Amino acid sequence: MIVANTALDSKCPSGPMEGRWDKHRFDLKLVNPANKRKFKVLVVGTGLAGASAAASLAELGYQVDVFCIHDSPRRAHSIAAQGGINAAKNYPNDGDSIQRLFYDTVKGGDFRARESNVYRLAQVSNTIIDQCVAQGVPFAREYGGLLDNRSFGGAQVSRTFYARGQTGQQLLLGAYQAMMRQVGSGKAKLYPRREMLDVVVVDGVARGVVVRNLVTGEIERHAGDAVLLCTGGYGNVYFLSTNAKKCNVTAAWRAHKRGAFFANPCFTQIHPTCIPVSGDYQSKLTLMSESLRNDGRVWVPKKGGDTRPASEIPEDERDYYLERRYPSFGNLVPRDVASRAAKAQADGGHGVGPTGMAVYLDFRDAIERDGEDVIRAKYGNLFQMYEKITADDPYKVPMRIYPAVHYTMGGLWVDYNLESTVPGLFVLGEANFSDHGANRLGASALMQGLADGYFVVPYTVGAHLAGRALPAVDTSHPAFAEVEGEVRSRIDRLLSIGGSSSVDSLHRQLGAIMWDHCGMARNAEGLKRAVDEVRALRARFWEDANVVGGAADLNDELEKAGRVADFMELAEVMILDALDREESCGGHFREEHQTEENEARRDDENYSYVAAWSCEGAGDPADLSWKLNKEPLTFEVVKPSTRSYK
Amino acid sequence: MSSRLGAFLGSSIGKKTLMSLTGLGLVVFLIAHLAGNLTLYADGTGETYAAYAQKLKDLGPGLWFMELGLAAMFVAHIALAFRTSMENREARKSRYRVRGTKGEANLPNSSMLITGTVVLVFLVIHLLDFRFSEGLAPPHADVLAPKVVDRLASFTGAAIYLIGGVAVLIHLGHAFRSALRTLGVHHPQYENLIKRTGTGLAVALGLGFVSFPVILFASPDNYGGRGAESAQVAPAEQEQAPASGSPTVPTAAPAREEG
Amino acid sequence: MIATNGKDTIGLTLNVWRQAGPDAEGAFETYHLNSVSTHMSFLEMLDVLNEQLLAEGREPVAFDHDCREGICGSCGVVLNGQAHGPDRDTTVCQLHMRRFHDGDTITIEPFRAEAFPVVKDLVVDRSAFDRIIGVGGFVSARTGAAPDANAIPVPKEEADLAMDAASCIGCGACVASCPNAAAMLFVSAKVSHLGRLPQGAPERDERVVAMVQAMDGEGFGNCTNVGECEAACPKGISVGNIARLNRDFVRATIRRR
Repeated sequence: MIVANTALDSKCPSGPMEGRWDKHRFDLKLVNPANKRKFKVLVVGTGLAGASAAASLAELGYQVDVFCIHDSPRRAHSIAAQGGINAAKNYPNDGDSIQRLFYDTVKGGDFRARESNVYRLAQVSNTIIDQCVAQGVPFAREYGGLLDNRSFGGAQVSRTFYARGQTGQQLLLGAYQAMMRQVGSGKAKLYPRREMLDVVVVDGVARGVVVRNLVTGEIERHAGDAVLLCTGGYGNVYFLSTNAKKCNVTAAWRAHKRGAFFANPCFTQIHPTCIPVSGDYQSKLTLMSESLRNDGRVWVPKKGGDTRPASEIPEDERDYYLERRYPSFGNLVPRDVASRAAKAQADGGHGVGPTGMAVYLDFRDAIERDGEDVIRAKYGNLFQMYEKITADDPYKVPMRIYPAVHYTMGGLWVDYNLESTVPGLFVLGEANFSDHGANRLGASALMQGLADGYFVVPYTVGAHLAGRALPAVDTSHPAFAEVEGEVRSRIDRLLSIGGSSSVDSLHRQLGAIMWDHCGMARNAEGLKRAVDEVRALRARFWEDANVVGGAADLNDELEKAGRVADFMELAEVMILDALDREESCGGHFREEHQTEENEARRDDENYSYVAAWSCEGAGDPADLSWKLNKEPLTFEVVKPSTRSYK
Repeated sequence: MSSRLGAFLGSSIGKKTLMSLTGLGLVVFLIAHLAGNLTLYADGTGETYAAYAQKLKDLGPGLWFMELGLAAMFVAHIALAFRTSMENREARKSRYRVRGTKGEANLPNSSMLITGTVVLVFLVIHLLDFRFSEGLAPPHADVLAPKVVDRLASFTGAAIYLIGGVAVLIHLGHAFRSALRTLGVHHPQYENLIKRTGTGLAVALGLGFVSFPVILFASPDNYGGRGAESAQVAPAEQEQAPASGSPTVPTAAPAREEG
Repeated sequence: MIATNGKDTIGLTLNVWRQAGPDAEGAFETYHLNSVSTHMSFLEMLDVLNEQLLAEGREPVAFDHDCREGICGSCGVVLNGQAHGPDRDTTVCQLHMRRFHDGDTITIEPFRAEAFPVVKDLVVDRSAFDRIIGVGGFVSARTGAAPDANAIPVPKEEADLAMDAASCIGCGACVASCPNAAAMLFVSAKVSHLGRLPQGAPERDERVVAMVQAMDGEGFGNCTNVGECEAACPKGISVGNIARLNRDFVRATIRRR
């Protein structure tokens, strides 16, 4: 590994924290209203970030081309977010403020996020709620007709707005509808069932994308004056995650290989309350809202390898390990802590269920205390979902849960303008690394996606368009032909491997390596072994993958192959990043760096930086290497402290 | 306004709205028609029935007006039914190999086109049987009752009217509730009431109409049947068929003579 | 990973619609799966089928899917004549194989409607829904121009009813299950969601007229109030919304300038 000294300019404004975004907006150049229609912005992805950006930019008067991988932009994975969206409205009068939301988010991110970005996020959070309500998002309301809030993810104030258990869906539909309004009136153009396979850089500036029409197989060139990647996270590198099946890193990875730095790739979030794996056919994991931990008690049998049914295990033979280890927070410890504790129990032979990879989440006491009706009213739909999947009735037997990969805090490095190291290439939402540091708080992902799309990028893209000389470039430019050629030859190469292992089986193997060595807990030895294993697997992929079908029509296997090939490369830099970070922070737990009580030990002196990796030797997958570039983090307002939940 | 109405009627909802309105109008007509027909059971002589028919006839141009309105409703309802059914077929050209349901499809709501067509064919026969039996002008009131009885006393007549009645019953099994929903009437609290009303209406009207072929075929003589028939066909054979002393015989015969 | 024991596995015969492309002729092909774990979801069963086909060097069955937890609306096939399979309030990705028995034959067909042309095998093109939304399924709220979120109170009951309608996932099962391939439940859900809220009121008339016009233009059938749409809807959206749509449409026709 080489440590480079490329200076990364975050372009964060200076001055008092609360005035920075205002000052910056004032300093950003504006595009003359009459000139806006001359610029074309390419938006890739239509989740919360992409749809909100496309809607807002088209409304401003730019030409907008939008690309989505699904048959409809409404299906982006933002739709699956359950819990809610945070905002510092302080409607419940419980002491919330922009300052507090900012503070909680920086601390929750374990002091690995940029203060200026997080403060801006907290500032625009309120406007997001206003905007969504105006669009007709049916948030939950109180009897007086005003908006309801709830406490979420262990927050001490009630700042979470929600629409039943479908907040992500409703917010996405709001943004999608706003975008479709622009499409309907011809101001934006929608390209569904397109997968971005590369970004085209002309004279050092991102000027277009090459996409594959997934239905006809046609390779299309699209030129523009700015490119926005809103393509989500890379949790599917683990094969099993709560991400949707189509979630992938390809768009971000292609951009990375064209010069965009990839920041903090090892920061992944493991969600503690998911339904455990039931068999080797398992295709994905299902999240159960963490609100369940408000009433459920987590336990395992004291005796290792105890195969008795839960009901036959007497009280004194049960280990309520969260309550034992964290008496003050108990079952409500943050996601990363709860996840690691569950893993420790399973590793110690105390896991339950047929696989031994699960712990109990028991509602017996809550039902005894409050009655089944109360529990049903609170969690009825979740219990029903659990029963549908497992055929177990959680009113009678304890749920079995286990942690699963849920969100990736890492992503393409962006500055305060959300611009990557490739000028003109902006990265929004989960695809960037920006606001969550090493750990994301509940109900913050939706906030960030919409903040980026509605209220940040519309200004900062304008500054790029107004501030840089952008010579006219169309798809006949040689750079397009070159990139298209590379895309085509890669597809040809995939189709001509002619091996015997299915793409899914190779992906599962990659996932197993990553889960075992770069998952909830990591150590140098395991990570070093994982690098070798990933490299070997990557080589095997290019020799033995079985990619059937052709390139000229809908071919799911070909699509998956391209994505898995990129995951195979990403996996290596995730491991390198985890190796480099000789500390434990947030979702990154290095076993060498823990306290006597097995808690994470952060090293602010040496690791208070963003690790931004640049890709070298982008030619053959076998000759890849990466350079580490560091963006130092300084904390002017929130002083770093140790998180403790004892 | 006219373009607005045109656009409305050209839309799927507009077409269905008009179908519902005409359908409900036809239901009102059926209620009146059945009420009138039931007068046949009022006495064994058909006198009440004849009086009722005469009353309608006495309306003169008013009857024409009502009949034209009724005809317009039928034509609109039927034309729209065929039009929308064709559109519906166009909307799914390739059919499912396995046809399933999640419990909502039933005989009435899945066979509206079939029962409607049966009713249409029946309607043509029915009109030729009675309404146009004497040409365009309404038939004479006092020949109607024996005509009805005679027609339904025959096997084919009874069969046709039985099928017509059953088709009406099934058709109405879905019609009322569907029409109300198309017209925007739906409330969780009243859904059951509407459903029951619709079923009740269908059963009442359907059984009402079915009763004629059943009862008249079984015992035509009680309503001036065989005897009347003989009287009409051949008064000379009266002694051959005394029709068990049916009192309709004397009234029927003069009526025919009058005609 | 656990090995599935004999008790938990079933054998199935699948009749699957195969169609190479939009203009190709389609036909059913029959496949046999010998040991399907009853703990699998229906789509995982299709994954297993596809692995089997791949191993035989044949092209896997194309089907749409993504979140596999019943919210994205991507998946949707007709199983033995029932859209999303036999269960109510369930997408086919949430359907588990324990619902089936050893020796069952399952016929799997795509959603059939002229407005949803087949793309390949079980994948259909539902972009008609997006075009309907594009003409009116929105509130014209410019980014940044919104008043405070609590400026307009919304009665809880109305908000809840709006949410009921808004929970539509756009999967198209309503169209697939409708004997007439009508899209009334989908359109009515959006019209009700937005029409019930004060924020959607200013455009209520224009919205309903534009969306119905677009719906008709896409070639969907007419509603005959059978109610199969509600039964097939994985989110249980009520046909009461259709009645409301009809009302709104008449109201808009009368009131519109």
